[in-house]
Amino acid sequence: MNVKWPGYLGALLGTALTTAILAPFQQQINSTTVALAFLLIVLFVALFWGSRPALLASLLGVFSLNFFFLPPLYTLSIAHLQNWVALIIFFTTALAVGQLSGRAKRRAEEAEEQKREIERLYQELQTAFKKASEAEALRQSEKLKSALLDAVTHDLRTPLTSIKASITTLLDEVRGRSQEDAVVALDAESRREMMEVIDEESDRLNRFIGGLIELARIEAGELHLRRSWGTLDEIISTALTRAASLTPGREVAVTLEPELPAVRVDERAVSEVVYTLVDNATKYSPPGSRILIGAERAAGGMIRMSVEDRGAGIPANLRERVFDKFFRATRDGDVSTHKPSGTGMGLAIARGIVEAHNGKIWIETGAGGVGTRVVFTLPIGDEEVLDEPQEKFVEAGSLR
Amino acid sequence: MNDAARILVVDDEPQLTRVLRTGLKSRGYEVRAAADGLSALDTFNDWQPDLVVTDLAMPNLDGLELCRRLRAISQVPIIILSAKGEEKIKVEALDLGADDFVTKPFGIDELLARVRAALRRSVSQTTDDASPVRLAEGDFQVDLETRKVIVRDREAHLTPKEFDLLAYFIKHAGKVLTHHTLLAAVWGGDYVEQDQYLRVFVGNLRKKLETDPAAPRYILTEPWVGYRFNPNG
Repeated sequence: MNVKWPGYLGALLGTALTTAILAPFQQQINSTTVALAFLLIVLFVALFWGSRPALLASLLGVFSLNFFFLPPLYTLSIAHLQNWVALIIFFTTALAVGQLSGRAKRRAEEAEEQKREIERLYQELQTAFKKASEAEALRQSEKLKSALLDAVTHDLRTPLTSIKASITTLLDEVRGRSQEDAVVALDAESRREMMEVIDEESDRLNRFIGGLIELARIEAGELHLRRSWGTLDEIISTALTRAASLTPGREVAVTLEPELPAVRVDERAVSEVVYTLVDNATKYSPPGSRILIGAERAAGGMIRMSVEDRGAGIPANLRERVFDKFFRATRDGDVSTHKPSGTGMGLAIARGIVEAHNGKIWIETGAGGVGTRVVFTLPIGDEEVLDEPQEKFVEAGSLR
Repeated sequence: MNDAARILVVDDEPQLTRVLRTGLKSRGYEVRAAADGLSALDTFNDWQPDLVVTDLAMPNLDGLELCRRLRAISQVPIIILSAKGEEKIKVEALDLGADDFVTKPFGIDELLARVRAALRRSVSQTTDDASPVRLAEGDFQVDLETRKVIVRDREAHLTPKEFDLLAYFIKHAGKVLTHHTLLAAVWGGDYVEQDQYLRVFVGNLRKKLETDPAAPRYILTEPWVGYRFNPNG
């Protein structure tokens, strides 16, 4: 092989150099030292260039040792038997050293090669994995998108269906179109009922769209909080006043830890969270059952609030998912005892608001293993000076 | 109508059942509503309605399962309220024996028209049960024994399979017939996946029966679902 010639050249030069250095001292040094020096050359050559150049170095060593150092000098003959023995031992050792170290080098090279191969395969594998998981993620996100679209279209179409059916019933009467059916004129009661449905369902559509907009804001990170100092007492009573029409005949018990500090939060937004939770508690627990609201100090400068109902509870495996937008435990999670009348956005929005305050929201089982307790934390919040300029900026066009 | 026809409306959306109850009642029908499939079955057994109008997606027992269970005990006409995007499940419901569908959102007239057609069919089916030899529907007169077809007072010459298909259409005039149903009825169970057969034969029938085969009036296409036969053109 062409690549090997530097090895043979090395063997030649190494041996020649050693000979040249040691030859002037051939009287002073004994032949063992010289033999060891040549052995060293063989070793180097083997390590750098492998076993074949080492073989050449061994042969050259034998020649040089014999010719320059073993008496009679400058001949290829050898006077003493012991020198013959020494030469043969040198040659054998040199051969062995050359072969062994050459083999070691080859092994090392092979190992290196294998390592590179493995690394290359690993890289390839990783690229493949990455591509596959990207494709999977894309597929998942497409699936999610179409599921969301289904949920949204369903929630838009349901009220529209009631509106359309009511309107056409009313229109038919106005137009006096009868076709084959005997038109029994709508009585005042029916007419009012149709109009009520239209009114209520338009509101429902509007609420749904409002929710969509709020969710979109939260997801785009555009929920700017208007923080101000306020008391939890006020926030909770604002929410309860709003929820009063939802909770007729319900006992809503509020338990506040004595001497709770004022909190620096967006009062309107937090009261919206409380309202949503009370609304949910009403929807998913038996009529007349108690709803408990609590607030207390928690570790790390936080306030912990909770809203608890005595309903059927939410299975542990759905407790995360109920915070996903458009997810409804009653429809999507097969807890088909009550009909959901929500939009599937309330908890998603509540989580958005709580997290924007750097708080957390989660679901626990209610006291005594009954019902659902939704818990959220909010920082009491005295070090949030950084938000100040931004708040001023959004003052005019914030949430509503 | 001597006796007001009884209609059972099944939907989990209370506002819609509220509207349909009022809308149908104003046309002289007797109406009851159920919020899910299970209570619909209960009401059906107690009340024996003449027609069922049902939503597809419902808790407890969905519209599909309701169709299946109703068909096991009764031939009551079933109209499905479906939404765009539910085509697959709609076709499944029709295959299970539902008679017709209305797509949400719908005008009350559209629903009323389907209700009238379904009730009329069910009356005519119950009155002339003893399989007649001659069928006369709208522009069509068909003799099942001599296999003679008269359309708009002119005889049409059909191949045996074309005749079978037309006879099936006439027997189920006004009803939505899925590809699956037609293939199974005319060609038998092995052919139910062979939509192209059906397309060819419907094409031939239209050439022989329609005044303008490109704009059919008798054999109407229900996109993605099947065909509906309108004997009056």
